[in-house]
Amino acid sequence: MLKQKVQELMNEPGCATNQAKSAAEKKRGCGAKGLLPGAAAGGCAYDGAKIALQPITDAVHLVHGPLACEGNSWDSRNAASSGCTLYRRGFTTDLSELDIIHGGERKLYQAIRAAAERFWPPAIFVYQTCVTALIGDDVEAVCREASKRLGLPVIPVVAPGFAGSKNLGNRLGGEALLDHVIGTVEPEDAGPNDINILGEYNLAGELWQIRPLLDRLGIRVRACITGDSRYVEVASAHRARAAIMLCSQAMVTLARKMRERWEIPYVEGSFYGIQDTSDTLRGVVRLLVDRGADPDLLTRADALVAEEERRAWARLESFAPRLAGRKALLYTGGVKSWSVVSALKEIGMEVIGTSVRKSTSEDKERAKALLGEEGSTFDAIPNAEMYRMLKAGEADILLSGGRTQFVALKSRTPWLDINQERHHAYAGYDGMVELVRQIDLVLNNPVWAAVRRPDPWDADGRPLEAPSWL
Amino acid sequence: MPQSADKVKDHISLFQEPEYKELFQFKKENYECRATEDEVANQLEYTKTWEYREKNFARQHAVINPPRACQPLGAVFAAAGFEGCMPYVHGSQGCAAYFRSHLSRHFKDASVCVSDSMTEDGAVFGGLNNLVEGLQNCNQLYKPKMIAISTTCMAEVIGDDLSAFIATAKEKEAIPADLPTPFAHTPSFVGSHLTGYDNMIKGVLNYFWDREAQRERKANDKINIIPGFDGYAPANNRELKRYLDLMGVDYTLICDVSDTFDSPTDGTYKIYYGGTTLDDGRNAINAKATLSLQEWSTEKTLEYIAGKGQEVAALNSPFGLSGTDAFFMTIAKLTGKPIPEAIEVERGRLVDAIADSIHWLHGKRVAVFGDPDYTYGMTAFLLELGMEPVHVLCSNGSGEWEEKARALLASSPYGAGGQVWRGKDLWHMRSLLFTEPVDLLIGSSYGKYLEKDTGTPLIRLAFPIFDRHHHHRFPTFGYQGALRILVEILDRVFEVADASSDISYDLTR
Repeated sequence: MLKQKVQELMNEPGCATNQAKSAAEKKRGCGAKGLLPGAAAGGCAYDGAKIALQPITDAVHLVHGPLACEGNSWDSRNAASSGCTLYRRGFTTDLSELDIIHGGERKLYQAIRAAAERFWPPAIFVYQTCVTALIGDDVEAVCREASKRLGLPVIPVVAPGFAGSKNLGNRLGGEALLDHVIGTVEPEDAGPNDINILGEYNLAGELWQIRPLLDRLGIRVRACITGDSRYVEVASAHRARAAIMLCSQAMVTLARKMRERWEIPYVEGSFYGIQDTSDTLRGVVRLLVDRGADPDLLTRADALVAEEERRAWARLESFAPRLAGRKALLYTGGVKSWSVVSALKEIGMEVIGTSVRKSTSEDKERAKALLGEEGSTFDAIPNAEMYRMLKAGEADILLSGGRTQFVALKSRTPWLDINQERHHAYAGYDGMVELVRQIDLVLNNPVWAAVRRPDPWDADGRPLEAPSWL
Repeated sequence: MPQSADKVKDHISLFQEPEYKELFQFKKENYECRATEDEVANQLEYTKTWEYREKNFARQHAVINPPRACQPLGAVFAAAGFEGCMPYVHGSQGCAAYFRSHLSRHFKDASVCVSDSMTEDGAVFGGLNNLVEGLQNCNQLYKPKMIAISTTCMAEVIGDDLSAFIATAKEKEAIPADLPTPFAHTPSFVGSHLTGYDNMIKGVLNYFWDREAQRERKANDKINIIPGFDGYAPANNRELKRYLDLMGVDYTLICDVSDTFDSPTDGTYKIYYGGTTLDDGRNAINAKATLSLQEWSTEKTLEYIAGKGQEVAALNSPFGLSGTDAFFMTIAKLTGKPIPEAIEVERGRLVDAIADSIHWLHGKRVAVFGDPDYTYGMTAFLLELGMEPVHVLCSNGSGEWEEKARALLASSPYGAGGQVWRGKDLWHMRSLLFTEPVDLLIGSSYGKYLEKDTGTPLIRLAFPIFDRHHHHRFPTFGYQGALRILVEILDRVFEVADASSDISYDLTR
């Protein structure tokens, strides 16, 4: 069953990359290459499913497996909550050797019951892991039974680590929502301006940079899947009138299936970058109006966008003198690449290149057009090559995720985290200003002068001149 | 009853019991003649304003919460750094008790010091008899190899002449003529503990080089290092020695308290433990050069040493990357020895750590208070980290310090908003923190009241540290020490981040 599901997910008609493929390529599926044994790899499917669902803040997230599957991932993402904190608690069945011999189903049931009785959450998500999948624990059956006996939704998330990559896990998490959650609660207050946001996890509180914009337009977020969400919001998400899909690689299947099942149209967008934020806002407003919302919404959206853009550019201008002419290298996945490029170029920075690893072909074209002649697009850059580029001074700053942090630092190049472990929110108009502010802070930090300055003595350890201020 | 023999509460919880709260309330209402809560609150708010700050800075005749100590404390510290030496305070015994408790509370170790307990008679007739008798008793009771004599205000006010009195004591055979008895006049009403430190170090050298016998200087290849008055001396001096050994430098530390104030517990009590040997002190005259790590704590000493024909150099509490670089380059220049690779590797680790953490430090506003060299060295390191020293306050700095500190701030864009406050106290600092707030305060334990009052997080990195244990056992000097300072600052930044928001209470930072 899992195999079937995976195959289905690997051939996603809603995915632009997939659509561009030939019939033969399509048949091989998008994960055909698999992970290269012996090479450094990212997270597993379990991790992907967990991070996709864990921002449902009032639920218990129970991991059925040996201790460390939960232990290693416990609270490792800064997905912020505006209230409930239950999601930050680590729950696991902590399987031991005897459980593996005799089967862990009974222990799982007891764990579910214990969590239910102690915390009485609106729902419990149960995550399958490699070990429990291998020994054949029927997690779905246990969840079904527990749900019946305890009288609360207990949702199996079948994404054992060996199923594939982290991205596949994101999608399997989406499948669990489709199979067991969305559509199970009827909201009493459905309205014409209700939308869903898919693929937004409220990392560093980014959702909160978007919400005020929507609020000002009178648009209600029925459910954010899953950043800062409550179970009942997700369960009643099927009554939204339109959806915004962010971080497209993760939730595209969910968006497509919600459109098929409940006729919720979606716009693929991004809140990184000024132009993108505007486009995305306009896009979702258009969908709402098409479905019967007050047409006046369009005019109000245009006015809001114009005002916010003016405000953002005015604030960005002040950074130009310190950043103009400095060279940046972007190394991140997906749509973030080109949306950041346009803002950096606007304040006079040079972008010498951007990665387009996880981007669709459309994204790649946009990035190429934006970069013009001075920059190039890359797929993966091997660490050694990136080190060489930075060492040779081809870029003044690297914007990337934690995995390439030390490539930059060891080559004495300023680095800024723009991936999930970052602590600053970069979404929306305010977020872009914050990003540029952070670039300014890092790039113009005096530490780099000290870091780059060679030891003030020669190869034989004989001192050169002392710094003048001492 | 809030407590019984079976359930004894400590004072942290005991006085939270309703019985006590009621008692306090009753006293407050009936006996304290207090202003109303509103009046108190209004006055408190007023003291946070610019208007009050201006009045506060116009204050001329009172010092409130002074961040400095007096001369004899420095002299006792200096004396403690020599082998078998008994610090002897000529004057009131109460002062000597203060010095002992001050040092013991900071170092969490025994502090040895005697006084000749002058009384009213002494004040009227002069302290000669007390000194003669005191030296005799001290020698018989504690068998020191050297007695280093300093003075308190009382002896200075009546004008006792130490040189003549000590000579008299030796003539009267109260103590053997060959017992080394260096001395320094250390009136508390002049300068600070650093002046006393300077005076006593000079006094010891002067005794060895001129008074005991007229020594001829025969230059050799050794160098002398004067670490200065340093609350972290136990660990810092050991670190200093490790570095010098790594470089293969032949050296003498002039005044080394690393063992004196950090002796192991091994079942025996030693009155004297460690310190610069007296012969090393005598032979220090032959060194080719002397380096002081605290310029403004050793001005007179360096002048005296230079007069003997030695090359002298001084740094200003070299903290951080550039500070430590400057230390090594000075040593290399003075000795001609190369800087070994092992040190370069340590340097690289510090650079690595700094680069890892800058995001959390950049642009953080800091206030620093303490001794002149300390505030200077710390400010230099903060600038290097991209932090912004906003208030640099030193109650015992000279005009030269002020000038140099201003130049330091002006040398970096991060010092552009920085202000130098000479001769100011911690009540001034309170006004500064309310009117021009900062993110962090760096100083001694005395900063804790400011922390509570103004809400500015305090980082304890200077003498005295009474309310935290063992800080002096880990160095602040050198590349390792810079790493430690970096970690202390970072820890505080992270604690503040964790405490200030549930939403951003992140596991990974």
